[in-house]
Amino acid sequence: MIAQIKEKTAAPEVDFSKAREMGRYLAEPEAMYVGAPGKHGYLRLGFELDNCGKSILRDLDRRHPLIVQQELYFDEGMPEMPCVYILSSGGPNVDGDRYQQDITVKQGAFAHVATGAATKLAEMRYNYSGLIQNIVLEDNAYLEFLPEPVIPCRHTRFISDTRLCVAESATVVYSEIFMGGRKYYNDGELFEYDILSVCSHGERPDGTQLFREKFVIDPNLYNPRNLGVMGDFDVFANVIVMTPPDMAEDIYNNTTVFIDKKNMIAAGITKLPFSAGLLYKVIGSEPGPVKKMVREFASSVRTAVKGKPIPPEFPWR
Amino acid sequence: MGDNSDVIRVMRLLQFTDSTFPVGTFSFSNGLETASLEKIVTDAKTLEDFARSQSRQAAFSDGVAALQAHRAFLRGDYPYCKKCDSYLMMFKMNTESRMMITRMGKKLAELGVKLFDEPVIKMWLEDIRSDKTPGTYPVAQGIIFAAAGIGERELFCSHQYGIVNMVLSAALRCVRVSHYDTQLILEKMATEVDQLYNQASQMDLQDMNAFFPELDILASLHEKGNMRMFMN
Repeated sequence: MIAQIKEKTAAPEVDFSKAREMGRYLAEPEAMYVGAPGKHGYLRLGFELDNCGKSILRDLDRRHPLIVQQELYFDEGMPEMPCVYILSSGGPNVDGDRYQQDITVKQGAFAHVATGAATKLAEMRYNYSGLIQNIVLEDNAYLEFLPEPVIPCRHTRFISDTRLCVAESATVVYSEIFMGGRKYYNDGELFEYDILSVCSHGERPDGTQLFREKFVIDPNLYNPRNLGVMGDFDVFANVIVMTPPDMAEDIYNNTTVFIDKKNMIAAGITKLPFSAGLLYKVIGSEPGPVKKMVREFASSVRTAVKGKPIPPEFPWR
Repeated sequence: MGDNSDVIRVMRLLQFTDSTFPVGTFSFSNGLETASLEKIVTDAKTLEDFARSQSRQAAFSDGVAALQAHRAFLRGDYPYCKKCDSYLMMFKMNTESRMMITRMGKKLAELGVKLFDEPVIKMWLEDIRSDKTPGTYPVAQGIIFAAAGIGERELFCSHQYGIVNMVLSAALRCVRVSHYDTQLILEKMATEVDQLYNQASQMDLQDMNAFFPELDILASLHEKGNMRMFMN
């Protein structure tokens, strides 16, 4: 009997040296070199329906420090939903770290992916930390990607590129929450990082490009405290929803937009170009209320698509 | 000013930049209407801060697309003008801003066909009418300024002036400021345009970027609200 060979992919190269905004941050770290074992994480998750129609994590490949063990079915609102927490054994992302995460949800399958804890981005002196993500959804697939916040430190340099390749009948909720920094560390480190460069772009499986959003936040060039940027707010959440237009219309109509200066929280929604879906943004002063808004919004998406709300978050999260 | 052609270029630059140039600038406030209602912009200081963020947001998105389209026209690369157009539409996350740039863009293309006997502008308008390209205003500016012999630095200045003046003109109707206040802001911001140009002119389409969540949320409030003195 021939043993089944499990495909193991070489961790793909993650290189942002051509990104104009990172040109100043390409020195080789004096500690472990760029891409050294333990500094080059890779994760491949593939969800699909099994023969009984159950959504399962069929494909899993990983390189440390990224860890995913197995899917769990703990969502009380949707017990049939495989849930995965991405963990990192390496502590914070450090100088010269590279990561790639590829997530595929095959036809009709569904999944919930989050992180086990906030992603900390350490102080950097030579290089940067980079992340590439490829998120692919086939027909009628559904994915909730709701990670914990990202916390940059003083002199953090971070760049990410996320490709969302989503079939017209599928739905993805892709959220990112960025803290301004370690707010209560010493006298506070808000917006003292060197650079955050975050790009998310959407496309159809045939390659048709739909939208491209890119933030380059360089506090030394333009203070995020300026009116129109973050003003007096400290936490920023960005949620991309790619979903069919009829679902998008329902979610859009059911979403409230507001600026609440007393409680220092504000939220807005708009429609993505080329009928690709929706873009929801929240700014606040503390992560808790912002996370709650994001979860409630994701719940309205799940309700529109799956007919079930997302249950309240675990009290320890 | 050296010769008659210089005079013509300056006159054209003034014509295209004038707030009465019929592309519908007066209908838009770039989110100022909501910022005023929410008491975020209340006086000359906050108006200046708001206008500065609008200027910067436009410089590294619309401004980059306009410069790239200008260069593409001059090297005879019409397909790249269309690429600039679709790239800018993909980058415009806000529904009302997409409406603004396509509405003003089509008007500018229609004017361009009347003003210049230039086959590329005719083709551009035909492609807008047959939905082959979105027809954004900054890309139309790039093409038409290049066709008129106006340089890219002047194009960038005109574009920046248009954005800031749109906000300041709207402010006279919805914020407690005087003409003196708005002219002082305009004068002050003029000194910052060169630095923005130096950065934007180095950028390619994939370098376009914007991080203005507070402006985005204000735009969303306008989009979902009933208030309608301006179209955005």
